Amino acid sequence: MRAPGKTNNAQDTRGGPPGTDGPLLAVSELSKDFGGIQALTKVDFRLEDERIVSIIGPNGAGKTTFINVITGRYAPKEGSVRFQGRDITGLPAHVIATRGIARTFQLEELFPTLSALENAMMGCHTKSRAGVLATGFRLKSARREEKEVAEKALKNLGRVGLEHRAHESVANLPLGERKLVGIARALGLEPSLLFLDEPAGGLAAHEVDKLSELIYGLADRNIKVAIVEHNMPFVMKISDRVTVLDKGAKIAEGLPDDVRNNEDVIRSYLGEDA
Amino acid sequence: MRAERFLQLNPFWVAVAIALFLLPLVTGGSYIISVMIFVAIYGVLALSMGALLEQAGLFSLAHPSWFGLGAYVAGILAVRDIAPPWLGIIIAAVFVGIVSYLLGVGLLRLQGYYLACATFALLLVVSIILGQWGEVTGGHEGLMGIPPLSIGGFEFSENIHYYYLSWALCLLCLWFLTNVMAGRTGRAIKSFRDSEVASQSVGVNIPRLKLQIFVLTAVMASLAGSVYCFYIRFTMPDIFTLTLLIELLTMIVLGGGKKVYGPLLGCLVVFWLREFIHMYLGDILPVLTAEVDAIFFGVIIIVILIYMPGGLTGWMEQAGNWGKKFYAGARKNK
Repeated sequence: MRAPGKTNNAQDTRGGPPGTDGPLLAVSELSKDFGGIQALTKVDFRLEDERIVSIIGPNGAGKTTFINVITGRYAPKEGSVRFQGRDITGLPAHVIATRGIARTFQLEELFPTLSALENAMMGCHTKSRAGVLATGFRLKSARREEKEVAEKALKNLGRVGLEHRAHESVANLPLGERKLVGIARALGLEPSLLFLDEPAGGLAAHEVDKLSELIYGLADRNIKVAIVEHNMPFVMKISDRVTVLDKGAKIAEGLPDDVRNNEDVIRSYLGEDA
Repeated sequence: MRAERFLQLNPFWVAVAIALFLLPLVTGGSYIISVMIFVAIYGVLALSMGALLEQAGLFSLAHPSWFGLGAYVAGILAVRDIAPPWLGIIIAAVFVGIVSYLLGVGLLRLQGYYLACATFALLLVVSIILGQWGEVTGGHEGLMGIPPLSIGGFEFSENIHYYYLSWALCLLCLWFLTNVMAGRTGRAIKSFRDSEVASQSVGVNIPRLKLQIFVLTAVMASLAGSVYCFYIRFTMPDIFTLTLLIELLTMIVLGGGKKVYGPLLGCLVVFWLREFIHMYLGDILPVLTAEVDAIFFGVIIIVILIYMPGGLTGWMEQAGNWGKKFYAGARKNK
């Protein structure tokens, strides 16, 4: 059992110290396969001055796998991922989370038995440190920290406009609000890069507009946002740059208008005959 | 702000503690007290195992072994006069902590049924070792000649001493586990039970947290085992096997594990139900043996699982919600 004072995620120095120069995220020649099925093939990806970027592609193009490999859910077969100048390739997900990369999930993956507030509080997990003994004996430090975490989480819920839902079970919330709770939870990590996996999927038009506002707001707060999405009008409107994946490989990258008119992209979406 | 207070005492639990404190003064006989000592000791076991199974979702069946090791280590140290009983309790707890840590590092990689199978094997292995290693453990006949517990000059010689000791331990464990589950660690524990993928994505070190709750609950079981051995002043390997495991599962299922205190309630009900059955059916069924008890536990588990899947606490919560709704409806109609 560890001492109450020690942090749960002791600063992990794997990959060297963080650098300030160079791109925020530099992915080079990233490959991943699942038992012979090539999910990603030598994908290069850089994130530097852009504020909001999108990754699009037909179903099964490897978009979610791309997020999963960068955020440490799967280790890549080949290639490297550098974040803030540090090599984070193949580190476990919980370590990468402490480095400043947060994510949401396509199917929300909230904690269904916890309330909206508790879900948001889970986002602050790495920013707090009370251990088993400190919480068990209700030490003053743990109680003070719990209050701070609750306040911070409530603020994050407020940022996505869900303060009034704080004490409801997330299982009872509608889809749009569940997605927002996922974003509030990710914000607790105080990330410099946020991956959103299909944030607009299943949302009504007015909800998508609100989501765009929210994402612009995050970008204004210096959080870079990388979106995986199918909703083309939304992507084309919001993105500074669009990357297109097809069958695990990058087939196009550029400004939204350029990508829209790219022949390879049109072919991959509409089939060979188009 | 409630979070500011140290004890955060719920009036209900204060009332329970006072009632337990006063019980020996009210009842004349030692019968009720001796049953209640068992309720407290087994309550610690049921509470800690319930937290592991229901709160953390780790289906470990090794709890009777931690209980047994706690009893044997403290008992052996006292019988051979290696350490005084109170120190033996601490040494046993440290020993069980280390053993559960080392085994947990490997076993907790297993998920679901696989963890259940591996820990069940551990249960069998421990009881075989306790039975076969005769020169140390006293073998199948059991360990005899355990002295009563004594701290300083005070000897725990009467039932009433063990009553207060065991309930102090039980309420302390209940308080501690409730706090853990209500705070940062407990939230993280519930989070990986709900979704490991999401839990990792917010930075929870799942293997480490699983190990912590595994060791914590094992140490609680060990403390209960040590108190048990000094109370009974005898232990034998057969106590810590399948029968005890089934009893514990009955308590957890009956009480319901969604609330931390559920298994303790289940423990209380199981013990008194058994006492009543023995008392009132003793004339009809003169041979009430452990086998008959096992049938009785089996029937309880099946009936509860079908009609009250949330156990007593789940059922009470549901009834409370209906009551609130009914009350709200009645006010609206006025």
